[in-house]
Amino acid sequence: MDTGRSKLTWSLILIVGALTVCPVIMLILGSFSEGLTAFGSFTVQKYVDAYTDPALAGIIVNTVVFVLGSSTLATTLALFLAYLNNRTDIPCKFLFRIISIIPMMIPHVLFSVSWALLLNPSNGLINLVFKQAFFLESAPLNIYSLWGMILVEGLLDLPIAYLIIAPAMASFDVALEESSKVCGAGAWRTLLRVTLPVLRPAILAAFILGVVRSLASFAVPSVIGMPGRVYVLATHLYQMISTGFSTDYGKAAAVGMSVLAASITLIFIYRAMTAESEKYVTISSRGYRPTVVPLKAARIPLFAVVALLSFVLIVLPVAVLFYTSLVPYSMVPSAKAFSLMSWKHWIEVLKDPISLLSLKNSLYLGVGGATLGVALSVFVAYTIVKVKTKAAGILESLSFLSFSFPGIVIGVGFMWFFVRTPLYATIWALLIGYIATYLPYGVRPLASAFIQVHSHLEESSLVCGAGRMTTMRRIIIPLLVPGMVSGWILMATMFVRELTLSVVLSRPGTEVLAVQILRFAEDGLWGRLSALGIMMIFISTALVLLATLVGSRFKPAGT
Amino acid sequence: MKQIMVMIVLLASFTVAHAAEDVAVKAKAEGVATFYANITAVEPIMEAFQADTGVKGQYTRISTSKFVATILTEFEAGKLMADVVQGPLPVLEILKQKGVLAPYSSPAAAGYPEWTRKDEAIQLFGIEYVGLIYNKDLVKAADAPKRYQDLADPKWKDKIVMANPANHATTISWLVGLKENVFSSEDEWRTFLKGLAANKPMFVASFGPTPAPVESGEKLIAISMPKYIITKAPAPLDWARLEQPLFGSPRAIAVTANAPHPNAAKLFVDYWLSAKAMGMLATDVGEYVLAPGVFPPIDGMDKAKVLPIRELSDEEIQKWGTEFQAIFDVK
Repeated sequence: MDTGRSKLTWSLILIVGALTVCPVIMLILGSFSEGLTAFGSFTVQKYVDAYTDPALAGIIVNTVVFVLGSSTLATTLALFLAYLNNRTDIPCKFLFRIISIIPMMIPHVLFSVSWALLLNPSNGLINLVFKQAFFLESAPLNIYSLWGMILVEGLLDLPIAYLIIAPAMASFDVALEESSKVCGAGAWRTLLRVTLPVLRPAILAAFILGVVRSLASFAVPSVIGMPGRVYVLATHLYQMISTGFSTDYGKAAAVGMSVLAASITLIFIYRAMTAESEKYVTISSRGYRPTVVPLKAARIPLFAVVALLSFVLIVLPVAVLFYTSLVPYSMVPSAKAFSLMSWKHWIEVLKDPISLLSLKNSLYLGVGGATLGVALSVFVAYTIVKVKTKAAGILESLSFLSFSFPGIVIGVGFMWFFVRTPLYATIWALLIGYIATYLPYGVRPLASAFIQVHSHLEESSLVCGAGRMTTMRRIIIPLLVPGMVSGWILMATMFVRELTLSVVLSRPGTEVLAVQILRFAEDGLWGRLSALGIMMIFISTALVLLATLVGSRFKPAGT
Repeated sequence: MKQIMVMIVLLASFTVAHAAEDVAVKAKAEGVATFYANITAVEPIMEAFQADTGVKGQYTRISTSKFVATILTEFEAGKLMADVVQGPLPVLEILKQKGVLAPYSSPAAAGYPEWTRKDEAIQLFGIEYVGLIYNKDLVKAADAPKRYQDLADPKWKDKIVMANPANHATTISWLVGLKENVFSSEDEWRTFLKGLAANKPMFVASFGPTPAPVESGEKLIAISMPKYIITKAPAPLDWARLEQPLFGSPRAIAVTANAPHPNAAKLFVDYWLSAKAMGMLATDVGEYVLAPGVFPPIDGMDKAKVLPIRELSDEEIQKWGTEFQAIFDVK
């Protein structure tokens, strides 16, 4: 390996390490500290208490089912939608592309609540429709269950999976599929034997990100799981830290260490399974253009399936939110509800200076944070994929470090760290914390895009006398545009609705949208919460459209 | 002798007035009072404070579960930004033990009941009162519970929502408060708990999410806070007028040790405890406050008996939480 590459790797390890290791070290200290903060007398009592809890075994079983179920659902749906959107002639592609990433823009608490309004067994709208249509005595569906949690979490993780799989699908080399067809394989066999195996790194990346994300998820387990008395690790942690007034985050961190260990193991498994990434290279020195598979007679039926899926899974919950923002209190739709509709909650939010400040701060953090985050991610992904050394493995694990900690405790790790720096209580603390925690959202789509760019391209450029930076700017980056756009969208929308860090780091002047939404949720003000939530969706949608437009301008010719 | 007494009283009141004036002047120079709490809709009070005193009131809301950890972290790092803290009494007692609070006896608390002056640092100003709220469109007032025991009636099966009794500190304290203040024996209380558990109440994380299922008719009754009748108006909510008293955790306020703005802190506490600020809290937010003669505008609440429950230690909350976890089959 040349020294330039080695320098790059170690510089990145230093930068990413500084971002992600500090809060985790504070959490480790906190888990061994006797007191309620990160420093105190040494003890292992918190580990003993946390791991001798008899309820833990059942909770782990629930957690495994929840995590695997939701990740499988998210990845399968993402694959289905990405294939149809990128590789077929299905109508209204642009619309479906936006729709598949909408759940990401909705605050998770709101998304969960709207599903509870649709599918609760007492008066959930869908249940009421089924009961009337089929003359049933009791509700056929109960969202407050493990399957309900899997459904809602799967939908929330769908955009992450989609944004990782779609760029890989978009930059697929036609020659591979054509060869398969020339050899006599049908479309279905080509899909199973060629297309899906080639997409394996992207599919695995999507699945593993889904697993890590759902392990750390709190909104769905609390809004859907808790009323159904289905407990997973996140709600178990919540129970552990919220019983009593002296919240012991060190004890929660002790349990969180297992989640961290599980996440790191998954990352190593993923690396092992994608070690021979040359196999997946599909953009070499020849021109490429993904072919469009004609759906022929299946075009309209498949369009109807996707449209129905989008409507039931995404449009309906968003419509519920909009409805909630217009009615004076939580009401089942009725003539009375429609007669009472007004813009009152919207006006209250728009008159509220803290809500307006939080809109401004979140927009700033979304745009600025995502831009910086993607810039860092390009270098990290390049090093992980193209500079394949043990040090690159360290870098990959570091990039996942604070992301894979349960959201409920990582914010406290950052607070314990930032309070010892001049950055505490500033917007910079939020910006750095966001980038550090959500780095995998930038790195994963870019890594799966890098995997598909053959090193011959880079080598040819270097042989022709271009420097490494010029090669990166002129050759590599244009080919990575779909991955960069995906990473930017993932990070920007995530930052606009970030809660776990913000809730402990936000102080007067640095309020952000999710914190304001949480305040409304704590006070049960669902109308204002929905109005602000919809504004958040608008902002995120605008950012997505902007990124997509910018991305399309920089796309390589011929695609 | 009488003249000497009059002189002393005049001198004392002059000294108090002068001291208050001195605090106000210094507070204005400090410019801001930073207030850490977890309480709803206090922004109008912060605005009124600024308008009336010229000192900016800056509010940071920190949820109860993160309150102690956040304040201790800042305090230990020498960066506690709060001048004044407010929270449930046990929270402030923990902070006092850790040396976070400074002694301050506010002249504005003079009219408050004697028991509200907890010690030299902590002043109680309200009760986080818990009651039974119901959907008045779906439940007739005559059918609403008359006693806590009625919650165990099978007619409420699958119709109740409450905060999780395994971990929600106020709910745990409230249930223990019922044992100590309402039920004649532990057996009678345990029978009530089993009956309530048999009615399969829906559990949510805290009081905040309890009214929504009642408003929408998903559930009919909530173990919740009557203040939501004000904050959620015009939702069809009413409270059950029980024959027994209402209970809740006392809310307390204190000035912090080494407050960045010590005079603004005192001025803020004085303002907070005034009839004007407490009136705003009662009227706008429906809080039950302890300022004499101030009541939330909830029909019948001025006649209700609202009592503070004994504050439980964290060990007791843990112990009872585990017990309720078994009784209510919280897995």
